[in-house]
Amino acid sequence: MSGRAKRVKILVGGVQLRDGVSTVTEILGRIFTRAGLFAVAMERGYASTIYGAHQYDPILVTDSPPLSYGDPVYDVLVALEYDSNPDAAEQPNRDTVLRHSPFLRDEGILLYDSSTGEIPTDSLRARGVKVFPVPARKIALTELKREIVKNVVMTGALFRALDFDGDFTHLRQLLEERFGRKGRDVVDLNLRAAQRGREVVEQVLAEQGYTLEVRLEPRPSGRRAVYISGNDCLGIGAIQGGVRFYAGYPITPASGILEFMERWLPRYGGRVLQGQNERESIRAAIGASLAGVRAMVGSSGPGISLKVEEFGVIGATETPVIIVDAQRAGPSTGMPTRPEQGDLNLVIGGAHGDIPRIVLAPSTVEECYTLMLEACELADKYQCPVFFLTDLNLSEGRKTVLEDLFAQRPPIRRHGILREEEVRGRPYRRYEVTPSGISPRILPGTPGVVFKSSGVEHDEFGFVTIDPRKRAAQMDKRMQKLETYLREDAKPPYVFGETRGNPVMVGWGNTRPVLQEAREILLQRGIRVALVHFTHVYPLPKHLVEPLFADAGPVVVVEQNYSGQFADLLQRELLIRTRRVLKYNGVPLYPTEVADAVQRALHQEGAVVRIGSSAPVKVEVGGDGSDGR
Amino acid sequence: MDLMAVKVWEENAVPKHRIQWCPGCGDFGVLAALKQALVELEITPHELVLVGGIGCSGNIRNYLNGNAFHGTHGGPLAYGLGIKMANPHLQVICLAGDGDTFAIGVENFVHICRRDPDMVLLVMNNGVYGLTKGQDSPTAGLGQAVEVWSEEHPPMVDPVLLALASGATFVAQSFSGDVKHTARMIVEAFQHPGFAFINDFSPCVTYNKFNTYEWFREHVEFVPPDHDPSDKDAAWRLVQDFARRGKVPLGVIYRNPRPRTETRRLPIWETELADVDVEPILATFR
Repeated sequence: MSGRAKRVKILVGGVQLRDGVSTVTEILGRIFTRAGLFAVAMERGYASTIYGAHQYDPILVTDSPPLSYGDPVYDVLVALEYDSNPDAAEQPNRDTVLRHSPFLRDEGILLYDSSTGEIPTDSLRARGVKVFPVPARKIALTELKREIVKNVVMTGALFRALDFDGDFTHLRQLLEERFGRKGRDVVDLNLRAAQRGREVVEQVLAEQGYTLEVRLEPRPSGRRAVYISGNDCLGIGAIQGGVRFYAGYPITPASGILEFMERWLPRYGGRVLQGQNERESIRAAIGASLAGVRAMVGSSGPGISLKVEEFGVIGATETPVIIVDAQRAGPSTGMPTRPEQGDLNLVIGGAHGDIPRIVLAPSTVEECYTLMLEACELADKYQCPVFFLTDLNLSEGRKTVLEDLFAQRPPIRRHGILREEEVRGRPYRRYEVTPSGISPRILPGTPGVVFKSSGVEHDEFGFVTIDPRKRAAQMDKRMQKLETYLREDAKPPYVFGETRGNPVMVGWGNTRPVLQEAREILLQRGIRVALVHFTHVYPLPKHLVEPLFADAGPVVVVEQNYSGQFADLLQRELLIRTRRVLKYNGVPLYPTEVADAVQRALHQEGAVVRIGSSAPVKVEVGGDGSDGR
Repeated sequence: MDLMAVKVWEENAVPKHRIQWCPGCGDFGVLAALKQALVELEITPHELVLVGGIGCSGNIRNYLNGNAFHGTHGGPLAYGLGIKMANPHLQVICLAGDGDTFAIGVENFVHICRRDPDMVLLVMNNGVYGLTKGQDSPTAGLGQAVEVWSEEHPPMVDPVLLALASGATFVAQSFSGDVKHTARMIVEAFQHPGFAFINDFSPCVTYNKFNTYEWFREHVEFVPPDHDPSDKDAAWRLVQDFARRGKVPLGVIYRNPRPRTETRRLPIWETELADVDVEPILATFR
């Protein structure tokens, strides 16, 4: 039975750096996007080395916008490995096949580089897998005399296996744009490479008598789309949101923001500083913000830990800075290339003493853009740290995004900055006590007026004080900003389904697409579960959230960390008990496993279900073990 | 000196009688010198940003007119860097102690010397952590003959040598007991196009009983008029020569501006940020 595929999940694997895994998926993502399809490559499988580790990039292709990247079940496996020493008894470089073929569905497709010999595939063939040995590297080296085109040979082979881009219209266009300037020869060489890959697949099809069941068809819609990462989207958001100073120190997975900003911000009149350390970065951003520029820093957990000291400075001096934390698995250096939602406690609790702060966590690549626009306004308005929590997959993962998104752009408003005519001849108090808690600032250089700004406790003028009344007044004033934020700007969570009387799944940040899909699965199983998902994480908009949980069934918080950091916040703020589904093994959440785990958690009060753990279900001490709340 | 002009620098500041430095503190001399220099330079308070460090010395930011900022221990240079990168029209001076600059903030000091932002750093160097009651700072031990060292009590950091080694383009030394000369150094520092570092000896009368005013008067000596400050080798030689003779040089030891790229104030206002076209960015992701 042959037909148009609505959904194909491909995994491309190989040796990091050597085999060009990301080059292949990048080509695929762009071409599928141009063809009007939707590509989602959010699960990044690479290691914190430059060369030699096993790397894999799953990429889901669909003909309508998918909810999430889906379960780790692949229709197609592309293995780029070859053996540098084909005579060795042990063949070490077959990781893609060894590790991922258990997740290749029956009747699926395997393409592998057979340049250094064929590999045993009987067990796969027994499952109906169609196996295509493609000597891509050999063809590139011996026939085309350029090793670099081996990935294009494989891409051509893959396109044939998917019955996609039969005349290479899309591939040709991409090659011409990319290599056109290098000359016709380069484009032709690459097209010849693709054609050779195609021929190899044709030959296998003829020899083996395979019939291909899937055909990936372009769906030109006329709507422009980009294939883009969260880091890039938030960079565009920051530029449109008026950020003109960015500082960062190299760290995975936030380096992409630094690279983006270095490339683009100067073209919009801004400056980018690669700090000599994490502290120089954030301090320079504070300085730039003091001078009036919208300023942002980006880092990941280890770097954020180093910046904590300055959270207090930002809070006490009331100097706005946007702080992006592209989370990765901690603690300590942890797993630099693996996702986690483990920094929530750090950003809501980091810094001694109390400061006002706002924590936002985008739930999709698109929201990396839209929520960043909001972050820019909030930082300016509330003169406090605004944290922007993404994670490794959201930062570096790529997907097809319709360009209409970027037309959404509310005008920039500079909040609470007094101009010369508003202050001239009047005594100016930088930390004036106001009902909102927001004290209008002036920028240095405003004629006829100066400010004194300080991280030492100060009076309204900014002069040092330990006077108990003045101290209390300043603390009250600063923290009042959170009340103002909750009243004027906090947003309710996403709500899917009816929470009243039903079990409720709760999530925050980048997991929303997976949780939505898990909910669909549970609904199909007859479990009427609602999903409440937060992007405005802190301060928790209690007044907007409490009614949702008032008559709800059991509450299961799903998040990617060991302890359930958001569950703790929710319990503390709403005085409700939560059950937890937690995953912290460095692998992203998948819809079916979440559905299964939530189902298990619903059986028992106090349940903590740990996905991927050796002790998968634990009941909290103090849980009474009874069903229901 | 125009007294009325000096008075301007006492507005928007903590009143004189409320200044919280010990009587005789060297920082009074720095304050007086700073006011004189600012008058001479005809800087207006609103265009000046004083970035204070942590410690007694950092309080100077509130003891005179001008915008002021104060954050973490060791942070002033990095805040100043950001301010200056954002708005090169501002006059920025970082005012910090030796602990702030050469201990907890040494990472900034070294790299700011290389980055060379057009701002001034005046270190009020007294060899001790005064505000926490006199612990040794990295510059403790100036002029003291010690024969055996330990991990707990290592030899001192010489700020001038560290600055030279780090690529600073202006290095000067002053003694706050000589207000006029200190003011002169501040003026020259502001006039230097790039990062200008002044190591000012500012005696702590309470906790440093060795490097007293008397000690400095006996040991300071002006840089000879034939010294060529643009010659780095000469600068090294001068420092070593003075050290051999047990003397402390005062004056401009090194001054050699680097060619700089022109920068402008970054976009701040709505009008400067409107109508941003991100099409060129999107084009790279298609």
